[in-house]
Amino acid sequence: MSNFNIGEAPTLWQRWSLNAKKNSDRDAIIHWNAGEEPYRWTFQTLLETAKKFSVRIKEAGIKPGDVCAIIMHHNPMFYPLYLGISRIGALPAILAYPNPRLHPDKFRQGIEGMSQRSGLDWILTEKSIEPLIKPLVEKQGSTIKSIFFPLEWDINSPIDEITDAEIETAALAVNPSDAVLLQHSSGTTGLQKPVVLSHNAILNHVANLSDALKLNDSDKVVSWLPLYHDMGLIGAYHIPMAFGIPTIQIDPFEWVLAPVLMLEAITKEKATICWIPNFAYNIFADKIDEEELEGISLESLRALINCSEPVRADSNKKFADRFGKYGLNPSALAASYGMAETTLAVTLTEPGILITELTVDRNKLANGIVEIAEGNSASRICVSSGKLLNGCEIRIVDEKRNNIKDDLVGEIAVKSISMFDGYRNYPEKTAEVISDGWYFSGDYGFKHKDEFFVIGRKKDIIIVAGKNIYPEDIEDAVNHAEGVIPGRVIAFGEEDQIMGTEQVSVIAETKSETESEKNLIRMNMLKSAMAIDINIHKIYLVPPRWLIKSSAGKPSRKANKERLLNGLDPQVWSR
Amino acid sequence: MISEELKKVILDELNLDDFDIKDETTAPEVPGWDSLNHINIIIAVEKHFNVKFKGYNVLRLKNVGDLQKLIDSSKGK
Repeated sequence: MSNFNIGEAPTLWQRWSLNAKKNSDRDAIIHWNAGEEPYRWTFQTLLETAKKFSVRIKEAGIKPGDVCAIIMHHNPMFYPLYLGISRIGALPAILAYPNPRLHPDKFRQGIEGMSQRSGLDWILTEKSIEPLIKPLVEKQGSTIKSIFFPLEWDINSPIDEITDAEIETAALAVNPSDAVLLQHSSGTTGLQKPVVLSHNAILNHVANLSDALKLNDSDKVVSWLPLYHDMGLIGAYHIPMAFGIPTIQIDPFEWVLAPVLMLEAITKEKATICWIPNFAYNIFADKIDEEELEGISLESLRALINCSEPVRADSNKKFADRFGKYGLNPSALAASYGMAETTLAVTLTEPGILITELTVDRNKLANGIVEIAEGNSASRICVSSGKLLNGCEIRIVDEKRNNIKDDLVGEIAVKSISMFDGYRNYPEKTAEVISDGWYFSGDYGFKHKDEFFVIGRKKDIIIVAGKNIYPEDIEDAVNHAEGVIPGRVIAFGEEDQIMGTEQVSVIAETKSETESEKNLIRMNMLKSAMAIDINIHKIYLVPPRWLIKSSAGKPSRKANKERLLNGLDPQVWSR
Repeated sequence: MISEELKKVILDELNLDDFDIKDETTAPEVPGWDSLNHINIIIAVEKHFNVKFKGYNVLRLKNVGDLQKLIDSSKGK
């Protein structure tokens, strides 16, 4: 049984308030900045500032149930702002800060796509991107009522006590089944799916995940994950905040430029738990110079959880090999399978137990059968994503959604006490994935003994460094690149073993024949994808009518990827 | 001003024949130079020029001109 008692404080605001009362001086957020002393929020100071923000938010006209998009850089004021929005009963929705390479029109198109589904009411952002966002508010038919710049607000002046009391009374009357936040899946051109989660969903998840992780008061989470991503938002923010333990928040932009930052944070703060996608293992293992690791100690780490992209055995191995001498306990390596639709995790490696790897016959696996490899047979190492969490169920099903036996590969269907209530304003998409209370994930995997292994995807989605990318977005962007035959483009994911992730590849038909023309087309395609902040890793140019069509008459991603990767076709130009 | 040598290292790493890279050019302006590739470019530069950068120094780079200055200072120029 979990030692996390939901009944003590059944909504998030009540839970945070309880933590502030019980452990007022304990660090809640350690806001990390490279080369500077971190900014520390205790549970008490965080809650006090959140109250001030909530009064300003109410005074600004934001109402309970309104959706508030937050678009902000790594900033210590983000956390009390987020809590303040939640206190008045509005729904925070964190969106990615616009990358300079993203074309302003594409950025706005993405927000519009979201607002049509989610009904974004307000945008809370930084003054510096006002010109970028303002046209969205002014546009006819926009759901967005206004933009606010909360970093400019005066939160040091005394707040109106009557308003504060009104907010507190309303916050205490909130129903645990009410919505508390909204997350968006990836995608840039309106393919995003808004996932709404309730207090119940999150707090049940805290109970079940903390139980599985054996969380205790001495734990400390460290993360560089962006908070618009479910793993960052739930795993590294909501879970520790609700459980009442500190979380160290590193700027994702700084981490990717200087990955050693996270290792320094672990060393200095004696962090114990961390969630990271698979590619980060390769970055840590291969891309940090030995000199920079002087003084690093990973002894405190007891769970380094690989999640949000396929778990690769060689990534785990190279990480363990490199950091053993820095105090890494090999049994700290863990994995989890989860998704925003179930709040986060469904399975998890048992803490302190070495992760299970199965070396299976590759050919049999391709036919859906799991058999331990023998002798010289071609093999593949499958890494376990662990055991079921309490409150979760998994079925492995065939194409007709009938259950299949253990050690057979099928689609993974999940059910969780922390399940979302459907995509907001998107009933047709909800109906596609939910049936009889089961969420059909589109992932392929199998059960072996009492552990679950995820080995592939039914969906065409591409996962680059933990980020989900829809091939449709890339195809739309590249379709009109000069030299490409419109409608004759497919995008797919190709394994990059060095980086430990998938990369984006594109096949396009063209009438051009010379090397120089093809190089020019490649550059046009790269630039088109840049405008939606996508980096195409490899481009394949093929002659007209090369692409195989699906039964629906459109070029088939799967068939063309197989054709391309299986044979040496002299008609294919690649770079 | 950035050297032709640095420009070539960057273009080679990004698998580009040519691209107008100047002092004031920033990573997001160059095809393929995303956050995932950034670390590979830095490693390629370190290897080619036989220098080692501290992570914090890499964080402060605003454009290619800054990268050139970092190379120069690391080589004692």
